[in-house]
Order: sequence, then C-alpha cells, then structure tokens
Amino acid sequence: MMYPTLSHASPLAPLPRLPGDEWGTQVQLFEEIFLVFLALGTIVGIVVVSYTLYNAYKYRDRGEETGEYDRPVLGELPTGEGGGRKLFLSFFLSAVIVISLVAWTYGALLYVEAGPSEQGTDENLDVDVVGFQFGWEFEYPNGHTETNELRVPADRVVTLTITSTDVWHNFGIPDLRVKADAIPGQTSETWFLAEEPGEHVAWCFELCGVGHSDMVADVIVMEPDEFEEWYEDPEAYENDEEADEDDVEEGEEAADEAADDEEDADDETETVAGAVVAR
Amino acid sequence: MSDLPPASSVKRWLVTTNHKDVGVLYLLTALFFLLLGGVLALLIRMQLWVPGPSILSGRAYNEAVTTHGLLMVFWFLSPFAFGFANYVVPLQIGAKDLAFPRLNALSYWLYLFSGLLMMVSFFQGGTYDAGWTMYAPLNIPEYSPMVGGTTAVLALLMFVVSVTMGTVNFLVTIHYGKAEGMGMWNIPLFTWSILLTVWMMLFAFAALLGALLLLGSDRIIGTLYFTATGTEDSSLLWAHLFWFFGHPEVYIVFFPALGVMLEIFQTFSGRRLVGRKWVILAMILIAVQSFLVWMHHMFLTNINLEIKTIMMATTIGISLPFDLIVFALIYTLVKGRVQFTTPFLFSLGALLLFILGGITGVFLGAVVLDYEFRGTYWVVAHFHYVMFGGATALFGALYYWYPKMTGRMYDEFLGKLHFGTFFVGFNLLYFPLFLAWETPRRVFEYNVELITWHQLATIGGFIVAASFLIMFYNLYVSYWNGEPAGANPWEFSRTAEWAIDSPPPLENWPGRASYADGSLSFIETPSTTHAADGGQVAEPGVVEEFLEVHEPTETEAVHDEPHEDHASIWPFGIGVGLFVLFLGLSGLHGAELQGPHYLAAIAVGVGLSGYALLGFGFEQFHAPEAAIAERWPFEGIGKTKLGVWFFLASDVVVFGAVIGAFIFIRAGMGWGAWETVPPDPLPGLVNTFVLLTSSFTVILALVAAERKSKRGLLGALGATFVLGLTFLGIKAWEWSYEFSIGIYPQTSIEASVYYVTTGLHGLHVVLGMLIAGFMLYRIYSVDAYLEDHRPVEFFGLYWHFVDIVWVFLFPLFYLM
Ligand code: HEM
Ligand SMILES: [Cu+2]
Ligand SMILES: [Cu+2]
Repeated sequence: MMYPTLSHASPLAPLPRLPGDEWGTQVQLFEEIFLVFLALGTIVGIVVVSYTLYNAYKYRDRGEETGEYDRPVLGELPTGEGGGRKLFLSFFLSAVIVISLVAWTYGALLYVEAGPSEQGTDENLDVDVVGFQFGWEFEYPNGHTETNELRVPADRVVTLTITSTDVWHNFGIPDLRVKADAIPGQTSETWFLAEEPGEHVAWCFELCGVGHSDMVADVIVMEPDEFEEWYEDPEAYENDEEADEDDVEEGEEAADEAADDEEDADDETETVAGAVVAR
Repeated sequence: MSDLPPASSVKRWLVTTNHKDVGVLYLLTALFFLLLGGVLALLIRMQLWVPGPSILSGRAYNEAVTTHGLLMVFWFLSPFAFGFANYVVPLQIGAKDLAFPRLNALSYWLYLFSGLLMMVSFFQGGTYDAGWTMYAPLNIPEYSPMVGGTTAVLALLMFVVSVTMGTVNFLVTIHYGKAEGMGMWNIPLFTWSILLTVWMMLFAFAALLGALLLLGSDRIIGTLYFTATGTEDSSLLWAHLFWFFGHPEVYIVFFPALGVMLEIFQTFSGRRLVGRKWVILAMILIAVQSFLVWMHHMFLTNINLEIKTIMMATTIGISLPFDLIVFALIYTLVKGRVQFTTPFLFSLGALLLFILGGITGVFLGAVVLDYEFRGTYWVVAHFHYVMFGGATALFGALYYWYPKMTGRMYDEFLGKLHFGTFFVGFNLLYFPLFLAWETPRRVFEYNVELITWHQLATIGGFIVAASFLIMFYNLYVSYWNGEPAGANPWEFSRTAEWAIDSPPPLENWPGRASYADGSLSFIETPSTTHAADGGQVAEPGVVEEFLEVHEPTETEAVHDEPHEDHASIWPFGIGVGLFVLFLGLSGLHGAELQGPHYLAAIAVGVGLSGYALLGFGFEQFHAPEAAIAERWPFEGIGKTKLGVWFFLASDVVVFGAVIGAFIFIRAGMGWGAWETVPPDPLPGLVNTFVLLTSSFTVILALVAAERKSKRGLLGALGATFVLGLTFLGIKAWEWSYEFSIGIYPQTSIEASVYYVTTGLHGLHVVLGMLIAGFMLYRIYSVDAYLEDHRPVEFFGLYWHFVDIVWVFLFPLFYLM
C-alpha cells in the first residue's frame, strides 16, 4: 500500500525530508512516536527512580558518622554543598535526551501540519464539521449533510474543516488519532486516513455544557465503492440497508477477516458506540 | 488598637494579625477546602465506576468537575502553601511579622469569605459548570445560566483580590525585612520558593483579575466581550488571557512544594543542597520563562505553525531547569545520613511522583503527541502527578512543622501509615488513568474496554481519602497527647525557626535576629525586654546559645517601638462586608435583578464594608518593624512605598489585560472596522486636561506637606479632590448623553469595551477620591501628614498612575 507523502504543492513545500520518509496515516505516525517516547520514558523513569531509591537506602542513617563530614548546624547561614560537576553531567544528559526527542518529532509535526498529498489515493474527501450543543453536523462537498454520523471511504484521505455554531467543542476520533478544536468564528483543519472499513466513535474533547458527555458521533468507514454508492444517493442506500441488514454484516465480516488483532479492538468499540448512541 | 486575647478564646482568632495565627488559620481553612474538593472528587470517581450517567446528572457532573478543579487549585493548594509561608517565612528570614500584618489578616478573611461565597453558589440553583478553565463563550449566562455561576466568578474575583494583597505583603516582607547579614543568596530555600511564587503571582494573578473583571461584567452587566460568537473577535481572547495566567499558575502551585522538598531533603539527609546557587538560578529562570509558554495549551486551535514551534521550544526550555533541580535533590542524598521520618517520606514520595509527572509532561510538549493527548485523561493523570504530587510534599511540610506549631510530636507510626496508604492509593488512582488515556476528559461516557482502569482509579481514590482520615486522627490526637517536641526535634535542622520555642512566643524572639557574624544570634538590648501583649512578660523563648545582649546602637534606640499591635477586628469586618456585597452583586446576574433581597444585600454590604474600611483607616496600628535589615536592591525606599510600587506593578498588568483585550478584539475585526463610541471627543479632551492638572495639584500638596503648611496641604489636596470630582461629573454627563442616544454597554462590542475600560479607570478615580477625602478629613481634624508626609506621597504615586492610564485611554477610545 502506498502512503501519502508530503505534498510539494503545500504552502510549506520546501521542507526537510521526513525520517523514515513515509509515515502514512496519523495512526501510524502517532503509534511510532508514542512508542519511542514510552520506551525512553520508561527507561529514564526506572533509572532515575531506582537511582533515587538506591541512594536514599544506601545513605540511610545508621546512627553514627562513618567518616568526616561537615554536617549542617542550626543557625548557620544557608550555603550549598559542592558536587556541581556530577550535577551538570546528569543535567546535560537529560537535556540532550529531551531536546533530541522533541526535535525528532518536529518533522512529524510539519508532516501533519502540511497535510497529505493526493499520492496513492484518489483525491481527498473534504468534509465540513460543525459542532453544536450537543452534536456534530457533517457536510459533504455535494451538499449532503448528516448529523452525528460520519461516513467516509476507506483508504482515502479525509480532510476536515471544523468549526462550531455556539461554544468551544473539540472533534476527535481516538481510534484514528485525529483531533481539532471546534471554535465558534474560527475554523481548524485536520485530516485522517482510515485504512480499513469499520466503525469508530468520535467524541467531544472540550467541555461544552450539560450534554457534553453524550456528544458522540458514529464514524463509519466504508469500502470505497460502497461509499460511492451511499454518496450518490444516501437515502436510497439507507433504505436498502434497512431492507437487507445481512449485507452489511457480510461486508464487515470480510473486513474482519482481513484485519489483524489490532482491528479486533475496533469491533469492540462498535458495541460501545452502539450502546452510547442508543442511550 | 486592641489587645490580643489568649489562644483559647474565639475572639483571638477573629482579631489576630500575628503571622503565626494567620498561618494556622490558612492551614485549617485550606484543609477544610481539601475535604470539600475531595468529596467532589469522590463523587466524580463514583460516577466513573461504570460508563454512563449514574449518581449525577450531566449538569451536576459538570458542576462537580468544575468546582473540584477550582476548589483544589485555588482554595486548597495555594492557601495551604501560604499557611506555611505565613508561619515560617518571617521566622526564616528573622522578621517579627509580615510587613503589613493587618493587610495579611485581611487577605486571610477575604480568602475565607471567598470560599464561603463559593459554597453559597451551590445553593443558587446550581454553581458554575463550565470547567475550571472557564472557556468562552461557555462562561457567559447564555450558556451557563445559573445564578450560582455568577457567584462563583465573583468568589474567584474576591479570592484574586486576597491573593494580590498577600502578594504585595510577602514581596515587601522578604525584600525589606531580612535579618542583618542575610543576603539574597542566603535566603533559606523555602523562603526563596515563596519569593519567586509571589513574584509570579503578582503578574499572573493580575492578568486573571483583568480577565475576571471582563467576565464578571459580561455576567453581571451583560457586556459582550465573550458573547461575540460567529465573529473572529474574541473566540480566542479568553484562552489567551486565561492561559497567560494559567501556565504560571502551574508553577505557582508547585514552587512552594518544591521549596518544602528542598528544605526537608536537607534536614533529613544531614547535607546541604548540592549546587544551591544553580538551583536558585534555575528557579528564577523558570519563574521568568513561565510567562512565555502559555500558547502550548492552544496547540489544537488555529494558531499558526511558527507560533506553535516557538511555544514548543519554550516549553522544552522550561522543563530543563527542572531536570537540574531534580538531580540536585537526588545528589543531596549522597553521603547523607538519610532519616526516613514521615516528612522525609512525603518529600521523597513527592519527588518520585514529580519525576513521573515530568516525564509524562515531555510527551505533551511534543506537539504531535499533544494533538492526541489534549482533552484526554493523559492530561488529567499528568497534572495530578504534578500538582497533587506537589501537594504531597506539602503534607510532608505539615508533619515537618507540626511540632513547631503545636509544641508536640505527631505519632510517627501513624504518619508512616498515612504515607504508605496515601502513596499506594495515589498511584492506584492516577497511574491507571495513563492507561485509560483515550477517555475524553470531563466526560462520564467512556469505552467499556477501559472500565478496569477506571474502577481501579476509583478504588485508589477511596484509599487516598482514607489515608487522610489517618492524618486527621493523628494530628488531632497528637495535639493533646503527643510527646513534647522541644525547640528543635530534628537533628540536622538549620533555619531560624528551630532556634526558638515550640510554639514560638508572640513576637518570636527578644530583640532582633542577626546573621552579621555569619551565624544566627538574637541580639537583645535592655530596652527591648518590655512586656508583650496580654500582660505576660516576654519569655526568652529562645535556645540559649543564640542569645546575645548588648547596649542598643543609635539606630536601634531611636526606632524601637514601645508597643506593637497584634490585633484588629477590621479585617474581619471588611471580609464580612465584601461577602455580603458580592453575594448581592450575584443577584444582578445576566443584567436582571434576581430578587429584591439581592438589592438589600448590596446596600448592607456597601454599608458594612464602608464602615469597616473607615475603622481600618482610623485605627492606630504599629506593626513590628526592624530598624536594621537587609534590603538589597530596595535600600532607600520605605516599606509602604515599596508596597505601593508592587501594587501599582500589578495594576499595570490588570490594565494591560483589559487594554490588551481591546486591542485584540479590535485587531481581530480589522482596526478600521471599529466604530468609535463617544460621539464627540471634546468631553474626553477636557477630562484629559482636568486630570493632568490634578496631577500637578498633587505635587503641590506634597510640597505643602513638606513645608508643614496645613493650609497649603488642605488647599492643594482639596483642589485635587475637586478636579477628580469634575472629571467624574463630566464623565457622568457624557455617559448619560450616550445612554440617551441609545448607546449602552450591551449595545455593541465597541460600546462594551468602551464602557468597561473607561469605567474601570473611573473606578480607580473614585477610589483615589475616597482616599483623598479621608486624608482631607484627617488633615482638617487632626493635622495629619504634617509631621510625616509620606502618605501624601503614596497617594500621589497612585494618582499619577491613574492619570497616566487616562493618557493612554483617551487617544485609544476617542481619537483612533
Ligand atoms: C491537590 C489535589 C488536587 C488538585 C490540585 C486537583 C486538580 C484538578 C483539576 C484542576 C481538575 C480539572 C477540572 C476541570 O477539568 O475543570 C481535576 C479533575 C479531576 N480530579 Fe482532581 N485534583 C486534586 C485531587 C484529586 C483527588 C484526591 C481526586 C480523586 C479522589 C481527584 C480526581 C479528579 C477527577 C476524577 C477529575 C475529573 C477529570 C475530568 O473528568 O476531567 N483529584 N482535578
Ligand atoms: Cu463537548
Ligand atoms: Cu502551561
């Protein structure tokens, strides 16, 4: 499969090449960076915490002086102890780790910001997302609108233009690692690419009032040709779908088979989404 | 002036201005709000036991989340830290009290009453429910319609006023009152952390004050600052204002805890801090940088890539000094004799939690990751590790200074039990939240797959709650039955509070503290062994070896006050008055009167606070003041003048926020698209001349006072007063004309901004005239300010400032 790479037509065109060159979807991008951070974070955490505990234990008070030390006394003017060299060495090391980690992610940031090109896909699908108290409206290029249900084709870049009609909301689909603020009077842009058909949930990530907890939308990723069929005439499609539930089941089963363990998780999400929406 | 009753009498606690009493009051009140915030937290956690609504409705849940955040951050964390600061900072620097003890008591009472106001808000149809970040436009009545929401905003406003006064007080205290021989580098680290905290507070809280004034006016008068939805004007205005305060606030709540850790690590390892100077420099760097990172809370808005990049860089930049501090703490243990007492365990625990919080914070600093983490439980877990982790050290501080405050030891076994339960509970509560990070924040729906993590967290929450029961039991029982602690229960303590009795006597020590010969001594001169308040003869109260008696030097002999006051009822009175007044104001919610009783409350409130303010003004009060102290870099400046300067500095930021909001909105809608509100610039121009002239008459007043000419002083100050009155008169005429042609604060965003900004300035003029009127009366009746003309000078400073502000406002609102 081909992943979109940096668009040279974007306003940020003259950018350095990305590490790894092709990061693909935001999911893969996030997974990769998150993993590295997690690994390094865990190592650093374990080292520093153990070192602290080790020292605290090693130098525990045994009730007597084991050497010649100049212990602080009551009433002295506060001053410091020597030992700066070791301090700076550790500081320097930690600074190098932190700076290089974050700098390394900067390329990815540029990539996400620039947005994907059309390479490897048909052209992008542009959807306008409007948050309101308490739900989401999705408007497609052909003028069709849906409330609380976003249907998109698999394997095609979807660009979202997000705003709100009342208060701040934040549109995010955790499974697909996409998220942006929905601010009244302003628009934010972001994009995602779902590789496989399946169902996901979009949540609101900014407190927006009484109904905030229920502000969920279904995200249905469809086989591209099925999507086209729906897109041509959503109403007819939905009538069909009701008439013949089995078709959908079959389609999903096919998707399941193709999927690996990770996608299994998505299935369970479906039920949650169903439960949430049913309420 | 009144005498201070004994500690067993209730009256004592209403009138006391002594820093140790006030410190204790702060601590107890803060612990009360911890309980309140804790109960709310448990409600939230119970709701999260299974996904979906259970015990709380959607609104109640939002209220719980919001007030939990507000109470914990504002009414628990900082005041708890300032309880210790009140008690310990004067002792550590060798001062007898804070610079302005009555103002300190006033800070406390405003804090308490603002908290009570917050509690009342629950009963006004529902309290605030728009999150502790109060994002616009959810924060205006249209979207958060409860009267209680307005009350909560007013409560916060009152709290900020309290903080501002406390800030000025601590700044002057530390900069002005350090014992002889204690230079800046020698300030004990807890005091250093408080000093930097108040410096940050001075500016950060002023920005919040500005933001809250705008919000309050939107909620009460119905102005349109945060209503302007659908236009680009102000959708980001609140976010900028709030986070300009909000990020420094993170360090404001953390620094005192850091100071405690630095102090306790030294005491219980028997080592001085490694790299002390570097640690201090790192803290200064953090304090400065904290004002340069606020937009990292807005990575998901449409701010552009360049700004995101800068903010990302400053964010990493600010994390590095923390690395240094953490390593300094760790290396301090090396070669130490580490004693695992309860305070040390809590500090060590705090360090470990902070390390975890810091590492998970680096994740958020990487913008691409932040895109996914924002608004999720990753953030919730992270900031609890940092903030509540910091609070962990403050509980250590409670055990550390408990023997000093009560004279008795806490129970070590129960203390360790508290720590064990707390630490296990804490990690059970918050670590699973990292694993459940995909859950959106402030939501009670979540993916059922994550239920295990959420249920573990809820169990952890109850364990944490239980651990505090152990603490309260321990502290209560030990208060009555604990072993006597003596002056210094810790083997390696260093700072001055351990060189005096536990609890310390009212005036801390006889004579004055000094480090002139490199270590602490209390220099007693025969004339200072006078009777203290309450008729008792001052006990030495000091570990013998530190006592020195010598003949008074010339400065000492001149400056030694015969009698120092420690009691005043007026701060309490002002607190009550403002409480009633603010409660009344909440009834104007949404520009509509909610009932006649609210009007009555406003009237009573104005009367009460006016009466109490007058009482405060007329009271003779001698604060203890050291004649000899380290004052770099403010040597030549008097105590009160320094206070006035600090206050004005914060006021500059308040106006900066309000004028900044104007510029932000105007730039947003296109500079030229703004319609100038006043139909005619002439009244404004006349007023400009009026005010400039009044600045001149104030100078004349000072000259007259210096010449001890009563008539001249009365004339010049009187002229200032009349000019102020003229200014207000013209303004009133101008406004009534504008009203008559249909321009109200609610009419348009331009009108809102015009009325609020110039109105805020007008309030400053009114305040100045109240002071001037008070001074005129005193000159007339008791020939005041002829001997000591400094108050005239301070008034002049304030008045010039108010005039200068107008010089900016006039062209901005009338000509451009
Ligand atoms: C010093 C102590 C604490 C501080 C400073 C603190 C601070 C905060 C803040 C600022 C929020 C965000 C509120 C908002 O989003 O508007 C919050 C949320 C929360 N806190 Fe605490 N908290 C503390 C202790 C606790 C304790 C003891 C518990 C549990 C028993 C707890 C559980 C929670 C929960 C469940 C949330 C809601 C998260 C959400 O839905 O966004 N907190 N806390
Ligand atoms: Cu929402
Ligand atoms: Cu921040």
